[in-house]
Amino acid sequence: MKKLKKALLKFCLIFVLLNVGLFVIFFFDLDGKLLFNVVEPFLKKHYDNMERKDTLAEPYDLDKFPKYKYD
Amino acid sequence: MAKKNPIKAVKDFWYGKPHTAEEGGRRLGELYEDKTGLLKHREWRGVKDTFYYMYNIWGYNYVHMVLDILKYSNNPIDFVKGTWRYRWMGQTYLPVIHWFERGLQGMRGEALEASAWHYRAMVSASIHQICNFFNADTRLHGGKQNEAYKHTIYANETTCGTLFYPWKDAGYQYLPMEMIPYFVTCHVNSHTVLNYIDAVQSIGLPGDPCPMCQAESGLFVLDDVPDSAPIIITCNEACDASVSTHTLQDWFANKPLFALPIPMQFDDPLVKKYCMNEIEEMWKFVEEQTGVPFSWESMKKYLERQNKLQRDEWEKWDVASKTDYYPINGVAQALFRIYSTQYGIQTSCWEEASEKVKKIMYKCVEKKINPFPQTRHRVIAWSCMDSLMFDMEIRTDSYENMLEDMATYHMWAPMRRMAVGGMHHIFELWDYMKRFNCDMVAMYDQLQCKGMQGVHGLFEDEFRKRNINAFWIPHALPDCRTVSRAEISRAEIRRQINDYMTTVMHEEPLDPSLLDFDDSMTW
Repeated sequence: MKKLKKALLKFCLIFVLLNVGLFVIFFFDLDGKLLFNVVEPFLKKHYDNMERKDTLAEPYDLDKFPKYKYD
Repeated sequence: MAKKNPIKAVKDFWYGKPHTAEEGGRRLGELYEDKTGLLKHREWRGVKDTFYYMYNIWGYNYVHMVLDILKYSNNPIDFVKGTWRYRWMGQTYLPVIHWFERGLQGMRGEALEASAWHYRAMVSASIHQICNFFNADTRLHGGKQNEAYKHTIYANETTCGTLFYPWKDAGYQYLPMEMIPYFVTCHVNSHTVLNYIDAVQSIGLPGDPCPMCQAESGLFVLDDVPDSAPIIITCNEACDASVSTHTLQDWFANKPLFALPIPMQFDDPLVKKYCMNEIEEMWKFVEEQTGVPFSWESMKKYLERQNKLQRDEWEKWDVASKTDYYPINGVAQALFRIYSTQYGIQTSCWEEASEKVKKIMYKCVEKKINPFPQTRHRVIAWSCMDSLMFDMEIRTDSYENMLEDMATYHMWAPMRRMAVGGMHHIFELWDYMKRFNCDMVAMYDQLQCKGMQGVHGLFEDEFRKRNINAFWIPHALPDCRTVSRAEISRAEIRRQINDYMTTVMHEEPLDPSLLDFDDSMTW
C-alpha cells in the first residue's frame, strides 16, 4: 500500500511538473523563440549554402516527347 | 500610478481582460516583441480559454502534426530528408503554430474553438500533400521511381483537384505542384517565398509581373520542386503572366506535359464547348500516360462527397450572412474555403472539420451566442482574395451534365470572378454584398496584377454612385518589398485601414495598441 501511495505521488508530481513545464513553454512562446532565433537561421544557412543544379544549363528540349494529337 | 482594483484583477484572471479601449482593456499590440512579432507572452484569455488554447489547440496540433506525418508518410525518415532538402519545407512549416497564433489572436469561446478546427484541417491537408511529395520524390529515394511516383499526377495549383477524381480509386494521387512549396508558405512564413521571386528575376525576367507566377517559376529555377510525378498538367491560371510560368515549367521539369487552358473569355457557349473538349483531351492524356481508363464510378463517388461539402459550406454561409452567430473569423473562413476547394476531396479532413464547426455553429444559434459581440461592420474582401470561387455543385446524374458543370467549375478558377473575369464577374461584388449582408468593402489592390489595374477607376465610380464605404489595400501578394519603400508592407496596410477608419468613418479603435507596431521581421 505504501509503495502504491509512493508511486501515485511520484506520478502526480511528474504530471504536475510536466504540465507546469508545458505551460511555461506555451505561455512565454518559447517554442516560437527557439524556432525564430535558432532553428530557422541554422536551416537558412544550410539552404543558402546548398549545392544546386544549374537549371539554366538544361536544354529546352521541345522534341523530346512526341507531339500530342488532338481528337 | 493607478490603484489596482482586486475585484477587477480576479475577474480579469478568470475571464480575461475585456475587449475595450477603456483603461484595463486588452492591449494585444503590447504582447509583441519589437520587429520579430514573437510574443513576450501569449495572451491570458481567462482560465477556461487559456487552457483550452494550450491543450486543445497548441498541444493538440503539435501532437496531431506528428501523428499526421506518421499516418501519411510511407517512411517518416523521408519527411526528415525532405525537410533537409527543401527550403520551402524546413524554413516554412516548422513555425506553423505561430500561424494559428496570428489567425486566432484575441479570440475567445466558440470563436476560438471553431476557427481552430478550420486551421487544423488546413494543416492536416498540407501534411497530406507534403508526405505525398516526399513518398514519391526520386531525389529522396536515390533516383528510384517507386510506386508512389508512378501513381502521382502533378498539376498546376489552380487546376482544381476535382478533375482527377476518375483515377483516385485506382490509387492515383493528384498533387498541386505549387500549393505547398509556394502558396501555403506565404501564409505561414512570408520570408521563404522571397528566395524564389529573386531566383526568377536573377535569370533576367522582369520584376513587374504577378509575384505568384514569379515565385512558382522561381521554385523551378532553384531546382526546389520535388521530382514526384511522371506527368504534369499545367494551366495559364487565367492570367497572362502565368503563360510564362508554364513555359518555364515545361523547360525545367522536362516531362510529358499537357497544357490545359483556362479560357480568358468565358460565359460564352462556344468557349464552354471548347473548354469541355480541352478537359476531355486532358483526361485522354492522363489515360494514355497512366494506362488506366477514366472511371465514372470514382468520379461520381468523390463528386458527391464534394457536393455535400459544398452544401455544408452554403449552410455555414447562410448562418454567417443572416445571423450574428457564426463562430468562424474571416481569415479562417476564407483560407479554409480556398484550400478545400483547390485540393478537393483528397483527404477526409475537410468533411471532419466541417462537421465539428457545424456543431459549434448550431450551438451558437440555439443558445444565441454572439462570438464577435463588438462587431461594428461586415466587410467583404474583394479582388485577388478569392474565397468564393467554385460556388456551385457539379451534377452527377449523367456524364454529359457532369462535363458541362465541370467546364464551368474549371472556368471559375481562382481569381477569375474577383479579378480577371471581366466586368460582369468582378461586379458580382454588389450581389455578394447583399448576400452576405455587408456594409463595407476591402479592395485588395494587387499592384502587379494587370487584370485589376484597369478597373480601379470603375470601382471608385461605382462606390461613389452606390454610396458604399470602401478602402483599398495596396499589396503585391507575397512580395512585401514592393508596396512600401520602407519594406514594412504590413505596417503600411495597417496604416491605410486605420486612416480610413479614423478620418472617413470617424471611429475609435477597440484596441489602440494594435494601430501601430513594428513587426517587419515577423514570419
